[in-house]
Formats: sequence, structure tokens, C-alpha cells
Amino acid sequence: MAHALQMTDIVKSFDGRMALDRAEFAAEWGEVHGLLGENGAGKTSLMNVLCGLYRPDAGRMSIDGVEHRIEGPSHARALGIGMVHQHFKLVQPFTIAENVMLANPQTSWRKGIATVSEGIARLSDELGFEIDPAARIDRISVAEQQRVEIIKVLMGGARLLILDEPTSVLTDEEAARLLRTIQALARRGTCVILITHKLREVLAHADRVTVMRGGRTVATVDASSTSAPDLARMMVGDAPVDDTEPGQSGPVRLQISDLTARRDDGVSTVRGLSLTVCSGQIYGLAGVGGNGQTELAEVLMGVRAPEVGRIGLDGSDITALHPKRRRALGVRNVPADRSAYGLAQELSVGDNYASTRLGSGAFGTMAWVSRRTIGARANAALEDFEIQGATVDTSVRLLSGGNAQKLVLARELHGEPAVIVAHSPTHGLDVRACAAVHDHLRAARDAGAAVLLISEDLDEVLNLSDVVGVINRGAIVGELARPADRHRVGELMLGHA
Amino acid sequence: MPSRTLAIGRISLEVRQGIEFWLHGLIVLASIAVGLGISVLLLVVSGIDVSNIFEEFIVFTFFDSAGLADVLLEWAPLILVGLSAAVAFRVQFWNIGIEGQFVWGAIGATVVMIYDIGPSWIQIYLMFLGGIIGGMAWIAVPAFLRLRLQVNEIISTLLLNYVAALFVLNQLFGAWQDPAAVYYKTAQFAAYQRLPLIGWGQIHVGLFIALAAALIVWLVTERSRFGAYMKFVGSNPGMALASGIPVTLTILAAVMLSGSLSGLGGYLVASGQEYALTIYVAIGYGFSGIVIAFLSRNNPAAVVVVSFLMAGLYVGGESIQVFYGLPEALIGLIQSIIVICVVGSEFFVRYRVRWMR
Repeated sequence: MAHALQMTDIVKSFDGRMALDRAEFAAEWGEVHGLLGENGAGKTSLMNVLCGLYRPDAGRMSIDGVEHRIEGPSHARALGIGMVHQHFKLVQPFTIAENVMLANPQTSWRKGIATVSEGIARLSDELGFEIDPAARIDRISVAEQQRVEIIKVLMGGARLLILDEPTSVLTDEEAARLLRTIQALARRGTCVILITHKLREVLAHADRVTVMRGGRTVATVDASSTSAPDLARMMVGDAPVDDTEPGQSGPVRLQISDLTARRDDGVSTVRGLSLTVCSGQIYGLAGVGGNGQTELAEVLMGVRAPEVGRIGLDGSDITALHPKRRRALGVRNVPADRSAYGLAQELSVGDNYASTRLGSGAFGTMAWVSRRTIGARANAALEDFEIQGATVDTSVRLLSGGNAQKLVLARELHGEPAVIVAHSPTHGLDVRACAAVHDHLRAARDAGAAVLLISEDLDEVLNLSDVVGVINRGAIVGELARPADRHRVGELMLGHA
Repeated sequence: MPSRTLAIGRISLEVRQGIEFWLHGLIVLASIAVGLGISVLLLVVSGIDVSNIFEEFIVFTFFDSAGLADVLLEWAPLILVGLSAAVAFRVQFWNIGIEGQFVWGAIGATVVMIYDIGPSWIQIYLMFLGGIIGGMAWIAVPAFLRLRLQVNEIISTLLLNYVAALFVLNQLFGAWQDPAAVYYKTAQFAAYQRLPLIGWGQIHVGLFIALAAALIVWLVTERSRFGAYMKFVGSNPGMALASGIPVTLTILAAVMLSGSLSGLGGYLVASGQEYALTIYVAIGYGFSGIVIAFLSRNNPAAVVVVSFLMAGLYVGGESIQVFYGLPEALIGLIQSIIVICVVGSEFFVRYRVRWMR
């Protein structure tokens, strides 16, 4: 008998980078099917292909044995495929009914609202949601917004419901409630695909699990016949660790003790984290995204104040110092979000290169800035870091991701850095740019810097690090010396998550 | 990268990756021309002959000695308010309170006269300082509220305009009122409290003060370290902070500079034109400053040029008011039309528009 859904040999690449490499996927009606993988494994890309957002470069797709070429999101919707994205697609100041109607157009406004409201009431009764169709989106909680998304998709007639990391925004209680609801949906015959990296959820609530890694499908297994360690092993794989020279570590340079920090919404994401990084050492901090890495990096940059804890640099306390003072002491940052903390997009390459050292009078005098000096130094940096196709006057907005990152490195690695905090330094870069970034970080380490590499890319952490620490729920749950055991790291990353 | 295009019927829109300098300039000039065209149409509808419009706005304002002198007189305070807005906007501080700071600049100058502070020869300089201090004091409140308590400066600066205007009214109807005057104002400034005339119409040395201020502001924004800081703070505050730039201090300094420029404008009008504090001292300057800064993209050199044209618009508009009995609001209307046209032209800067066959 034909599968409810079958996707075969799906290929999709972006700018020459393979996001999906002959991925396979099959699911049945009436099951909750977990789709498991690390960040960047291709889970979301595969589902975006299914719901018509991406058009695959190659591959076949069939529903109930009938082959379809999905032309776009509306075509997918007509086939009964609906996706609830990780970032909700709701219009804030509009009511629930209006949002649902936006996705499911009606012929008349007034009658449409009535029809839609009725449908919402009926569905939310069936699913045990308490939803008032007249409530405004910006007045309801995140969990409620998610329910609206689910109802929106189901009202469109979806029989194949895709949920992308649905529990990442929910509290434990809300998550449990949602997972019970989707099991109830499956019992009514819907095929629910649950994209996640949380092993426990999959084991407890899915009927079957497909694991992806590096754009390929690793295996599909019954949830009842597998275990968390098995799944973790499949997720992280067995890529070989390269054999570059380890660093010669010296005295402790960066010491973080009992650090706690809150996210903007008030939730503590860094919870009592402690670690030390020595001179000449790369400390790789592995972990699934959202476990406090962003806030940790911001605290170290000096743009977010910690709740408690101490940051020591070469023995002195820098916890309360302004970024300017930290930089003077040799703290450098390669931020994950270049557009937020790394570069001013509208300004020139030269200006961006000069930004961190203007205060020291390095480009002119204390009062005046010499455009010529900036131009000359930035030009030299463009050459040293092989940033091609750009001049000092080019607007940073027009640089490729690789060149922009090299520009950040050129600025941050100048002089003698004491501590380098590199957060996802190769995210979104091509292979060549990746290698260049890694070489630069190794060179800085060999020159005596303490490098803290925060990355969600396990291969990067394992290849580069002299010590691997694993962050989970805002704290270090284990530290391993080089060569770190990949499976052990994977288990720690995914454990009790 | 997928090409980002959108088709609406036969028109296709494409997001531009960048735009050449000359094309950008051409688009802006074309939009100003469209705005002027609409304005001319409006004046024609109001019953003024096209040839008369040309005469009033071009011949009698720019090519007539008395007219040009009026334009130059009006130019000086407009440069200062334009600079004031530009400096604040550069660090994303939306100073809508230029009018209030302008009033307080005039008050600062007037206080020297009222209380007869210092020997007579020094008073004109004390008034200069009084103008700067008045303007800075009036912007210090919203600056503090914004930087310390995250109070939106658009609201606080705007509302403080009314407070400043009402305070002046209170003084002019009370303690500072000149009993000899027919309408409400302070006593006339003495000769030594006035800015010296240069001997062409009513033009006084305030014009040189304004031009010098423009040169200084240009040097500061384009050549100094502080100016570079302003660029980063205005372009990406998060990145500026992470780069070790003192963001709060930069904003504070720029905002104080903005307030002092507005205050200086008030001093120029009080000590150079009105020779008294009147209730009309600041009317219209605040919003003109914003318009000038917007049209010159916060560039101090462009502010000088745009404010000259704006002064011409004022002078030409005044004579139209006098000779044709049209309301004062007409000048504001023309300003607004031009601004809306320039705002609209932004669309053509962002997108490439093509006809499809």
C-alpha cells in the first residue's frame, strides 16, 4: 500500500551549499511522526519543500501514491498540507478570526467573520482549546497564538500538519498539553509531523521517528523500539575529527564563575554557568541553540548586564566594565548576529574597520579622524584577510557573508587579543570562508589568546577545540578534553532536554 | 539570491541593490520639481497669475537687492534650526522641540536685558551665551528622560514646545511686559544689546554666526572622532556599544549641540531682528528646521543650501500674503507638498520600476 506521504531523493541547495542531499521521508495517516536532527540538519528545509515554500532542485513527492509537483504554498494547502512555523505568521493588531480569515479567504467580510468564528469555536471545542475568536493577537499569550496557528491550518482543510519546533516557545506544562492535543489529532486520522531536537518529546509522543543529519535521512525507526542514546548517536553521526595540532595552553585568562543572565523577556537563560579558558586554548562550547549561548555572548561583549556572577580576565574583575574598557584589556568579539553587534550595514568597509579603535586615537588624533589613515589601514586589512571584490568605500550591506565575517575578524583580531569570544563564526559561510575563519582563530590561539568558541555546529566544535564544554539549559553539563567523544557530547547536548 | 521582484499588472518592481549617486540626486530633484509644479498649480487656482508667481518668488526675492537682503536675513535662523534638527536626527534622537529650544534661546538672551547683567559692552556676548544655555537647558529635560527612563523624546520635546510658548506668554502678560508697548512684548533691547547691522537691509552679523556654526558642525560631523561616533550610534546602536563607543554620551553630546543651535537661533532673532522678546519670536521655526534637515538628509553642507531656498520661499510667500491677501498657511502647505513629494521619491530610490509589454 502506498504511503500517505512519500518524499524521495529531495535535493535543495542554496548558493552552492547543500541543504538537502537526496533526503527521504515517508509518513502515514493517523501517526505522529517525529523529525529529529541538529540545527542545520535539513529538517526545516525538507518541510519547507513539502509545504511549497522551497522548490526542490530534484526529487519526487507523492501523496497516497499520487505524484505531485508542488508549485507553491497555495498548491500545498490545496493538497491538505499545512505548516505551523517556528516564527508565527500572525498579524499582531488583528483579531484571531481576522487572522484565520486571512489564510482562508471568504467571499464577504461580515459573513466571513461569522463563519470563521463559528469554525474556530467548533474546532477549539474539539481540541480542548479555549479561544475567543474576537481576541486580538497582541493580547494573547504565545501558547495561545500557537493554537491559533494550528486552527488556522486545520480550518484550511489540512490533513497533513507540520509543526516546526512547536515546544521551543512553550513552558513545560504548555508543551505537554500541546503534545497531548496533537496525539488526539493523529487519532482522528491526521498525519502530524513534529520537527524537533528534543529526544524526550519524540520518545514520549511520537509513533515513529525519522532522523536527519547533514541534509540526509539517517533512518526511520519506531519510537517504542528505540532509546535516547540510540537517537542521539544517529543525530550526531561519526564524522572524523581532523588532526591539526592542539594548542599549547598556558595560564588561565578568562574565568567565568556562577554567571546568571536573563533574556529580554525576563527568563533566566544562563543559569549558574562557570568555565575557564587558558591562554593558547580554544574552548568549544557545544549545545543546541537557545540554551543560553546568545545571552552568554552578550554578557561577555558587555552589552547585557548579568544578574549574578563574575567574569575575570587575567585575574581582574571585568564584570561591570563598559565594552570600551573590555576592549582596551583585549576582549574581542565575533558576534553571531553580525547585523546586531558586528557591523553597521549602511556605513563603509573603512568606517566599520575603524569603529573599535577610534577611541584610542589610532586613526588621527584624539579629536580628529583622518579619512586617509582609515583608508590606508583598512586597505591593508582587506589584503591581509583576502577580502576580495570590495574597497574601503564599499557599503558593508553589499558584502557577501564570507567577506563581511572576514571584515569582522580583521577588526577583532588586530593587535594582541587576550580573549576572543566567537559565536557561530562560520554560520552561513561557504567552505572556503569557513576554513579561513578557522585558520584565523587557530592563529590567534597560537599567539596566546584564549578563544571561547560558541557554536551549534558540532563538527566545528570538535575540530577546533582543545577543550569541549557542553551547555544545556544555561549551565555547563560536562567538559571533555581533546579528542572529545562525539557521542558523549551529543548525549550531553540532548540530555534531559 | 532569488531576485526580489513584484509584478503588479504591467508594472514590475525590483528591489535595488544599490543606487548611483547621480541617479539618486536626479530622483530627488525631479520630485522637488513635481512638488513645485503642484504648488504653482495651487497658487494659480488661488487666483495668482503664473507670471506673477515667477516674479514674486524668483525676481523680487533673489534678483532684487531688498528682496535678497530679506532672504539673507531669514536665512540665518533657518540654517541654525536646520543644523539643530540634523545633528539630533543623526543620532536618532527625534527632536521635535526645536521651537521650544528656540524660545528658550530668546529668553536666555532677554534675561540679560531684563536683569541688566554685567557691564554694557559685554552684554551682547552674555546674550549669546544665554541663548546657548537656554536652548540646552530646554533639551536637557527630554534628553534625561530618554536616556535614563526611556521616555519617548518625540512626545516630550513636542509637548515642551507648548510649555515654552505658554511660559513666554505668562512673562509677557506679567513681569516682563513693556507698559509702553501696544502689543505684548518686553521693552526694546538697548543699542549695545543688538547684533550690529552690516549695512545691507536689516542683515546683521548673525548671518556670519550661522554660517560659522554650519562650518563647525560640518567639521564635527564629517571630520571629528565625535562625528564618527555619531555615525555609528545613528546607524547601529547595538554595534556601536559592542565596539566600545560610549553610546549614551555620544547621544547626550549631540542632543546638547542640537539644543544649543536652536537656542542660538532664538538669540539671533531676539537680538538681531525683533530687538525684544515677543510671542512671535519662534513661530514656524521648529517645523522648518525638521523639513530642512529632512530635505538635506542631515548633511550640514546641504542644510546651508536648502535653508537658503526655504528662506526664499518664506520671503516670496510673505509678499504674496501682503499683495494677494492669501493666508499664511499657504507657505506651510507648499513646504508640505514638497516634503511629501521627496518622501514619495524614496520609492523610486528603493525600487526599479519597469513597464512590461
